[in-house]
Amino acid sequence: MKSDATSQKKNRIKPAEPGRHAEKINILKDRVLEGPGHSDPRLRQAVAHRVAAHAGALPKDDARLPPEIGRYIDKIALHAYRVTDTDIEALRAARYSEDIIFELTVSAALGAGMARLKRGLSALTGGEDAA
Amino acid sequence: MRLKKIESGQKLSKKLILALIGLKLGERAPDVLRTVWYRPDFFGKHYGRYLNAAMRGPSEWSVGERELFAAFVSRLNECAF
Repeated sequence: MKSDATSQKKNRIKPAEPGRHAEKINILKDRVLEGPGHSDPRLRQAVAHRVAAHAGALPKDDARLPPEIGRYIDKIALHAYRVTDTDIEALRAARYSEDIIFELTVSAALGAGMARLKRGLSALTGGEDAA
Repeated sequence: MRLKKIESGQKLSKKLILALIGLKLGERAPDVLRTVWYRPDFFGKHYGRYLNAAMRGPSEWSVGERELFAAFVSRLNECAF
């Protein structure tokens, strides 16, 4: 019985899973980061990359975001629970529409989520960068 | 909601559902619903398909175990689950 339980447990973490949801993930990423919207897709991609770099899943890049966007995005990446109305007001004052703020916020959240997924799956497959 | 459009820009059917959930809960329906229902072609519809597959689809982990992982991660992110 014990060996059964052990082999079952091994089965549960066998690294055969990473591709299981790849298609749905790719559709989601394509739509959010490359699809039509109120903001330039290149800006959304730069946002997602910056957040993923914060999470250690991608190398830092020097793509320059407008400073007010950079401040907001960094806050989402590092401690999203600290975002307040003041942060949104600052973006409105810089003439970003609510739809643009929505799209950039979703891009940041997606970048953060994908970065965590990548590191988690990497841990399952024995990667060394998941610490 | 900090973005007013996410509050006001819901389809009528979703506004009704939100109102019913609010009545049932005795408090405001969770804002995550407003977020995934706002412009669903941009985010919510595609995210929902992935989320449903990951959280309810075939898996070695039970639904309860997966929900527990989600609650734990939300706690680490200081995000109400």
